[in-house]
Amino acid sequence: MLLAQILTNGVLLGGLYGLMALGMALVWGVLNIVNLAHGAMIMLGGYAVYFLFTGAGIDPFLALPIAIVGMFAFGYLLQRFVLNLIVRSAMLNTLLITFGLNVVITYLAQLAFSADFRTINPSYAGSNVVVGGITVPLVNLAAFVIALVLAGAVWLLLNKLALGRAIRATAQNLVAARLYGVDPRQLYAVTFGIGAALAGAAGGLYGTIAHLTPYIGASLTAKSFVIAIIGGLANPFGVILGGIFVGVAESLTALYAGPTYSDVISFGLLVVVLIVRPARSLRAA
Amino acid sequence: MSEALLTIANLRAGYGAVPVLFDVDLTVGRGEIVALVGSNGAGKTTLLRAVSRVIKSAEGTLRFDGDDLLPLAPEAAFTRGLVQVPEGRQLFGKMTVEENLSMGAFRRTDKAGVAESFERVYALFPRLKERRRQLAGNMSGGEQQMCAMGRALMAAPKLLLIDEMSLGLAPVVVDQLLEVLTDIRSQGVTVLLVEQDVFAAFSVADRGYVMETGKIVGQGPIAELQNDPAVREAYLGA
Repeated sequence: MLLAQILTNGVLLGGLYGLMALGMALVWGVLNIVNLAHGAMIMLGGYAVYFLFTGAGIDPFLALPIAIVGMFAFGYLLQRFVLNLIVRSAMLNTLLITFGLNVVITYLAQLAFSADFRTINPSYAGSNVVVGGITVPLVNLAAFVIALVLAGAVWLLLNKLALGRAIRATAQNLVAARLYGVDPRQLYAVTFGIGAALAGAAGGLYGTIAHLTPYIGASLTAKSFVIAIIGGLANPFGVILGGIFVGVAESLTALYAGPTYSDVISFGLLVVVLIVRPARSLRAA
Repeated sequence: MSEALLTIANLRAGYGAVPVLFDVDLTVGRGEIVALVGSNGAGKTTLLRAVSRVIKSAEGTLRFDGDDLLPLAPEAAFTRGLVQVPEGRQLFGKMTVEENLSMGAFRRTDKAGVAESFERVYALFPRLKERRRQLAGNMSGGEQQMCAMGRALMAAPKLLLIDEMSLGLAPVVVDQLLEVLTDIRSQGVTVLLVEQDVFAAFSVADRGYVMETGKIVGQGPIAELQNDPAVREAYLGA
C-alpha cells in the first residue's frame, strides 16, 4: 500500500515535471536552442501566480491563464528582439546567452521578490480524496490533469493547425519553409512564446505544491533537460511520459534511500543520459 | 512569343564581391514553357536565386507581371506568384504528403481556392492522392519530385521556377513529369525549367536559353537551338 501511494505521488508529480519540460522540448526541437533560462521562466510563472493570488486575491487556478498569457508575451518579445539575433549561430552561443539570461532573471527576481520562501497556499491546499486507500492530494491531481490538457493542446496545435504545421515544417527544413512564405523570425518568436507560456503554467502549478524561491530555476532547467531527452522532442505526450518516469524514480528513491537522495536521481539521470544518448533526435519535431 | 510575364535585362548579380551573372537577358512569355540549360556551375541556380530575390545585390532590370522585382523581399516575390520548386526537392520529410501540400498554401487565405488546388494537384498526380497519408521522406525520388511540384502548385503560382527537376530520377519518371508540365501549362501556369538534362528540357519547352559561365550564349525556339552547331556539339553530343 505504501508503494502504491508512493507511485501515485510520483506519477502526479511527474506529470507536472513533464509540463515543465514540454516548453523546453518544443523550443529545442524547433529553434535548436537549449534554453538554459527555461527554469527561470518557470520561476517567473510561479511568482506571477503567487502575486496574483496573494496580491489580487485571484484563485491560483484562475490566475494560471493570466500567467500563461503574460509569459507568452514575455517569451515572444524576448525571442523577437533578443534571441532572434543569435538563433542561427552555434549552439555554444545560444547556450551562453540563455545561461546569461538565467543569471539576469534570477537576480532581478531576487531584487524584486527577495529570497524568501513562498508557497501558493489556497484554502483547499491540504484537501485530499482517498481512493482505495490511496490518498490523492487535490492540488497535485489538478496539476497533473492540467499538464495532460496542455500537452494535448500542444499536440493539437502541432498536428492539426496551420500554425503548428508551419512550426514543424520550419524545424524540418528552414529553407523550404521560407520558400513557401513562412517568416522564421515571427514563427520563432511565437514558438518561444509558447515555450515560455508552458513554463509559466508549470511554474504556477509548481508553486502550489512546492516552495518558490528565485533560485529554483537552475535545478528545474536541469530536470527539464533530462526529461526532454528521455521523452524526445517530437511528441508532447512522450515528454509527459518522460516526466512521469523521472517523478516515479524520484519518489521511489525518496522512499528507499531517503528524501535527501531524490535529487541524486534526476542529476544522476542527467549524467547517464549525456553518456548514453547525447545527440538523440535533437531536431526531431 | 506572348506578352512577357518575366523580363530579365542586363542583370548582373553574384555573391558578395564575386560576380556570377554578367548582363543576362531572358524573357518568359505568359503561358510559355521556357528551358534554361547549361552545365553545372554555369550560373543557372544563381539566376533563379536572383529572380526569387534571395540574392539581394543585383543590378539591371527584373520585372514580373508588371512589378519591379528588384526592391522586393523573397516573400513579396512569392506572394506575387513567383514560386520555386527547389533543387533537391526540399520536402518536409517527416510530414505527410498532404501536409507538405498544405504548406505550399500556407500564405493563402481563400479556403475554397485551396480546396480547388488540392483537387487539381491530385488530378495531375494521382499517385500523390494515393500516398497522401504517407511521410514524404519515405517515398521514391520520383514521387518526392511530384510532391515538390504539387506543393509549389498549391501556392497558386503564375510562374513556376523548376530547378533541376530531372536530377537523380529514372528516365521513365522524367518523361512522366515532363508530360505533367504541359498539363500544368494548359492550366494557365507559366514554367521556367532549369535543367542540366538538355534533351529532357528541350523535349517539352517552347523556347530555350543556353547559359555558360554566367552569360547567355544561345537562345531561340527549340527547333533552332537543336540545329545550332555550337549547341549540338556542346550539349546534344552530335
